[in-house]
Amino acid sequence: MESYDVSVEGMLFSFLLLLIPVLISYYLGLNLISPTIESAFRMVIQLLFVGVFLTFVFDLNNALLNIAWVLLMIFVASHTVLKNAELKTGKLLPMLTLFMAVTNYAMLLYFNRFIINLNDLFDARYFIPIGGMVLGNSLRANIIGIENFCSEIQRNENRYLFRLSMGAEKTEALIPYLRKSMGVALKPTIANMATIGIVFIPGMMTGQILAGASPLVAIEYQITIMIAIYVATTVNVLLGVLVLVHRGFDEYGMFKKDLLRNV
Amino acid sequence: MGILDIQNLSISYDGSSILSEFDLSVSKGEKILIKGRSGIGKSTIFRLIMGFGVRSSGEISLDGVPVDAENIWNLRKRVAYVSQDTDIAEGKVTDLIEEIFSFKANRAAYEREGLQRIISDLSLSPGILNKEYTKLSGGEKQRICLMLALLSGKDFFLLDEVTAELDVGLKQKVVGMFFDNPQWTVLSISHDREWAEKATKVIDLSGKVN
Repeated sequence: MESYDVSVEGMLFSFLLLLIPVLISYYLGLNLISPTIESAFRMVIQLLFVGVFLTFVFDLNNALLNIAWVLLMIFVASHTVLKNAELKTGKLLPMLTLFMAVTNYAMLLYFNRFIINLNDLFDARYFIPIGGMVLGNSLRANIIGIENFCSEIQRNENRYLFRLSMGAEKTEALIPYLRKSMGVALKPTIANMATIGIVFIPGMMTGQILAGASPLVAIEYQITIMIAIYVATTVNVLLGVLVLVHRGFDEYGMFKKDLLRNV
Repeated sequence: MGILDIQNLSISYDGSSILSEFDLSVSKGEKILIKGRSGIGKSTIFRLIMGFGVRSSGEISLDGVPVDAENIWNLRKRVAYVSQDTDIAEGKVTDLIEEIFSFKANRAAYEREGLQRIISDLSLSPGILNKEYTKLSGGEKQRICLMLALLSGKDFFLLDEVTAELDVGLKQKVVGMFFDNPQWTVLSISHDREWAEKATKVIDLSGKVN
């Protein structure tokens, strides 16, 4: 199958499309013109940088460099999770980064070794993009999970204190909160799995088909990556909440409100 | 030395003093009513005994053991505290009971026969176990909280306005359940006269206002 690169002219036609949201924003007074232009500009710069950098990384294909690049991605993901969940990063970031690193490296090595049977487990062409897909897709769930846990423990503090006063250990008293936040966080990923291929064609599959792969090869990858994403998301959300269980409470078992950004 | 000793307890909220230099010694078997106007710090004293807040100054000890970060987890297992906020669960009442008595500290205390007896003593219908907790009336929720405290097998109770939503007959019944057992030590906060009538000591915090 033949694949077509996007030409400079094609790229310009793509940018031309942005006039539609800009005009809608102008006529409806949405105040979204400058955020749209700024975000599009940032996207181009970031992707240019990543494109050039990944070309260099792929050419070099050095295992240590690949591991370091994925670690940087994990660090940025952990930071993004805490920031979006309105938490201060200081005391939580190192532990969250460590936990997410263990999960994601383990998942990547398992995927490369047992699912696609690679000889070079750290091959940049697989290690980095698959790492990015797993991390990127679990990011939203992680934010929802941690955000839900923090808001529930504040909104329903009495339920937690009641359990402590009934003799519960901290973890025993927090199990209802853990269950609820994991349920809320994982529902979108479960719904994603159930509707994939019918409601939407995922980016990875689309990319492979556009690059000339057969749809059957594309679905093989999509099925396996979707399972990897779901598993990694479950473990990432669990560990994210456990970081809070471990670090988010004082020695009396009270939630540390000073971890919240708005306090 | 009593079961509970409070010395020089001071409580401030948002920079202003609510209670200062409060002392209390409670011996085994005592039935004490704490009263005083709203916002005077009655509930806060209970919360501090349970380690749920920060005191400005003072010492609290239970059985001679100071209420501090090191001891609080064991001390909480010693006290049955029922707060006035009864929003404690979602789901069925029976699931709540299962959860509370799945805690390591409570596994040994739970007896099914005891549950049926207490349900009857509190004038609850046996069918309440299968009802959604959030759909119960205020009075039913209070009695479920009391039921859990009674089932815990503890003999030291902190009860904060636990009869506020019950009718007179039930108030008398609940007061009797807690105050008629000579082995139990009970501290109750309440505006209901039924507690004042049977208490061995009444502490009016209004005299302690700054």
